Amino acid sequence: MSNLHETPGALKALQDDIYREKILRARKMTNEQRLADVFELTNSVFVRMHEGAMWQLGLSDPDEGWKFVRQRLDRLQKIHDSGRFVSHKMEQTA
Amino acid sequence: MTVEQIASGVIAACEQEGVEYMVTGAFAYGMYGIPRSTKDVDVVISLAGGSPMERVVQRLSDVILFDEQIQFDTLTWGKRQVGTSRSEPPFKVELFELFDDPFVLAQFQRKRRLFSAQLQRTIWLPTPEDVIVQKLRWGRNKDLDDARDVLAVQEPETLDMPYIKNWCRQHDTEDRLLAALAGIPPM
Repeated sequence: MSNLHETPGALKALQDDIYREKILRARKMTNEQRLADVFELTNSVFVRMHEGAMWQLGLSDPDEGWKFVRQRLDRLQKIHDSGRFVSHKMEQTA
Repeated sequence: MTVEQIASGVIAACEQEGVEYMVTGAFAYGMYGIPRSTKDVDVVISLAGGSPMERVVQRLSDVILFDEQIQFDTLTWGKRQVGTSRSEPPFKVELFELFDDPFVLAQFQRKRRLFSAQLQRTIWLPTPEDVIVQKLRWGRNKDLDDARDVLAVQEPETLDMPYIKNWCRQHDTEDRLLAALAGIPPM
C-alpha cells in the first residue's frame, strides 16, 4: 500500500471522507442530542486525563492525580489565553 | 461532580440572582456543530441590576473558586471572571460581562431557549448564525474550524446567510467566511 503522505491528493480525499462522516453524523442529531454529547464527552475526557496522569506519573493516590491534572490545565489555559486576555485594560490608541 | 452539575449550578445562580445570561463557548458550538469535549463552562451575563457579576460569583463561591483578578479580552475589552470547581474534576467556569459592542448586544438579544434533559432545565443559548459570526471574529485556528463545522452541520441553505455576511462585512471577516465555506467538502 502506498504512503498517503506522499500523495497529497489521496491524503486530502481521506481527510474529506473523515470530515464528511463527522458532519453527516452530526446532522442526524438534534440540538439537544449534540449538547448531551458535549456533556458526555467532557466528563469522559476528564476521567481519561486523570487516568493518564496516574499512569504516567505512577501514582496511587487519586488526589495527587487530580493535582497534576489541575496543573496541566492551568498551563494550557495560560497558553490559550496568551495575547487574548490581560489583567489590565490597555489605553486604546487612536 | 459532572460538567452538567457545574453548568446547572451556574445557570441556577444566574436565575436565582435574576441575572439575564447566555451560555456560550463549546456548549453553544457543540449544539450546532460537531460535539467535542470542553474544559470550561462559558456564560455571558447581563450587566442590568446592581453588580450582577459579583452576586453570581458570591452565590457560586461554595462550589467555584474564582480568581481575585478580573481579566480583559484584548479584542473587545470585555471583562471576564475565571473560576475553577472546588471539587474534582477541575472544571473551569468563565463569566463574561455583556458589554457595549454592537454585535455582542445583538447576539445577546437574539438568544434562544433550549430544554436540556441533562441539565433538567431550559437554558439560553446564542443562535447558530451568531456562533459563526463570533468564531470568525475571534479568528484563531480553532475558532475558524468551529465556524466551518457549524456552517457544515447546519448547512448554509438553512442559515440566515445575509445576517452572517452583514456582520462579517462589519468585522472585516468576509475572507474568513469564504474560506470556511470553501472548507466544507462536497456531501
